[in-house]
Amino acid sequence: MIDWPSLFDAMSLLFTSIDPWLVVIPGILIGLIFGAIPGLQISMAMAIFLPMTLYMDFMQAMLFLTAIFTGGSFGGSIPAVLMNIPGTSSAIATAFDGYPMSRKGKHNTALGIALGASCIGVLVGYSILLLLIGPISTMVLKIGPTEMAAVILWGITLIGSLSSGSLLKGVISGLIGLLIGTIGYSEVGVSRGTMGSIYLLDGVPAIPAMIGMFAASELFRLTKTKYLVEDSAARKVSVRAVFSGFLKAARYPWVLLRGSLIGVFVGAVPGVGSSVANLLSYIITKKRDPDPDSFGKGNAAGVVASEAANSTSEAGSMATLLALGIPGGGATAVMLGAFAMHNITGGPQFIREQTDIVYAIILANFGQAFLLIALGLIFIPILANVVKVPMTYLVPSVLSMAVFGAFGLTGNLSGPITVLVFSVVGWLFRRFDYSVPAAVIGILLGGIAEESIIYSYQISGGQWSYILERPITLVILILLFLSLFGGKLHGVLTRRARR
Amino acid sequence: MVVLLALASLVILYGFDAYRASSDVLNLILVLPLIAIVLVLCLVQFLMELRDAKDEVPARESVGDVAPVIGLFATYVLTLQWLGFDIGTMLFVAAFLWLQGERRWPWLIGYSISLSFGLAWFFSKMLPYPMPMLILQSAY
Repeated sequence: MIDWPSLFDAMSLLFTSIDPWLVVIPGILIGLIFGAIPGLQISMAMAIFLPMTLYMDFMQAMLFLTAIFTGGSFGGSIPAVLMNIPGTSSAIATAFDGYPMSRKGKHNTALGIALGASCIGVLVGYSILLLLIGPISTMVLKIGPTEMAAVILWGITLIGSLSSGSLLKGVISGLIGLLIGTIGYSEVGVSRGTMGSIYLLDGVPAIPAMIGMFAASELFRLTKTKYLVEDSAARKVSVRAVFSGFLKAARYPWVLLRGSLIGVFVGAVPGVGSSVANLLSYIITKKRDPDPDSFGKGNAAGVVASEAANSTSEAGSMATLLALGIPGGGATAVMLGAFAMHNITGGPQFIREQTDIVYAIILANFGQAFLLIALGLIFIPILANVVKVPMTYLVPSVLSMAVFGAFGLTGNLSGPITVLVFSVVGWLFRRFDYSVPAAVIGILLGGIAEESIIYSYQISGGQWSYILERPITLVILILLFLSLFGGKLHGVLTRRARR
Repeated sequence: MVVLLALASLVILYGFDAYRASSDVLNLILVLPLIAIVLVLCLVQFLMELRDAKDEVPARESVGDVAPVIGLFATYVLTLQWLGFDIGTMLFVAAFLWLQGERRWPWLIGYSISLSFGLAWFFSKMLPYPMPMLILQSAY
């Protein structure tokens, strides 16, 4: 599976000179900063710094851009843990348990765990990529719209397990989220649910809606709280606790491995990869845990599951980019731009003819993971001081940052207005025990779900029997059925066996 | 129950709007089945809540505590176009601090000015499009 001569060539490319590594530390720092500031996205950082790669050779350019990617993938977990604002859609599940840990005064440990899981995830993810880049790209080609639609439907049925309250309310929230995700221009070129607003023609901006529902609505509830961590003794920043959290991540080897596998294979699916991978890993970890009720209340395994998956989904999306030349999201689309700037075309030919460069990119990411450990351990204690800021000051600061960030995402005032509207919606959802995460996931996936179902309908000519010809779809649908009725089926079978 | 009725009404309105826009199967292929499922689930939840209506109502936070903050945030966002990100943010932060009981004027004024102008300057430099500003100049 490994082309050893090319691997040795890759090593000599990387380690005979320090030049390729000079750009890695600035790249990780840029990624950390852009990931940690809600509204500034990794793809935005890469786009802003893309022109600089003109002055680099292709190897250096790729190292610089993947360093931003690696730093940003972890950076998104910092506001998720400290402020309940997932810096990116791939850090949603990190907030589920990371933020409750912070509120309990375990912010140092939570950030350390996130760093540990991210770094181990990057190492595992790129190891899998090194071994399986060919099979992964073949798998991606077999994922069609029918499979995508089935994955999304499966995800929505799993939403019930995310809800701490009523399962029915959880499903209603998820489906309403899906409906919100379909607002705007439809495939037949007509607008729906826009109420005449031109800003909604492209749909509801998903990330500002996510910031509003997750963060702003939570901040409204915290205005009567003095500090994020109520216990003054627990409010200290401890490098030792961050480091012990970092080591603690390794105590969940199965969660890490499962999250990493989900991250690589789901992350390789263009469009939904990283957003879905962290949720799927979280849900499965919660379901398999002996104490699933502790999830959402500050269970460290939840942070590990999410971070392991979202950091490895970077490797998955790189597999699709390198092997097929297909960008899976904004960040890899910018990388494709760097390919073009250096007159290189990704795809099977690139892998075949420039295997040494592909291996060098993969090996460089191992190095980046170790550099991320060092930089993360330096910067996390500085950022963790946010727990010492009184809520009187923290709430308006974070709300303002959310508004600036939302403007940055949309380029007009529709972003801030979306934050406002969805902060109120989120507050109402929380007040009446509807599931905010389920609704957010629905909003993120609504458009893709509709697109996938339409393509499936067009390909199949409206024939249901088409599904029977798609084995992956069938497997996903069986999983969907089992996740809905598996518990009841198990109960019935157990009762019969006892008789 | 009021929330359920509101959700069901909004979903029905969206359904009518989607149908009015186009009755083409491609336009309604996901929207219509979803609306039907949501309405059925809302009805089931409504009946369940009706059945449990005699049980104790869970304690919920006071609307009075949150309403002023939501009002202030809404005013901030909806006036950004005229006040700009620099002055709008400064006024929002200062008003919020005052509302939360901060009476140390040097802190209140100093923090609101430094945060708002710091954020406005940083984002105006980083973003590739013009931002509404009253005092600061946007880079583009």
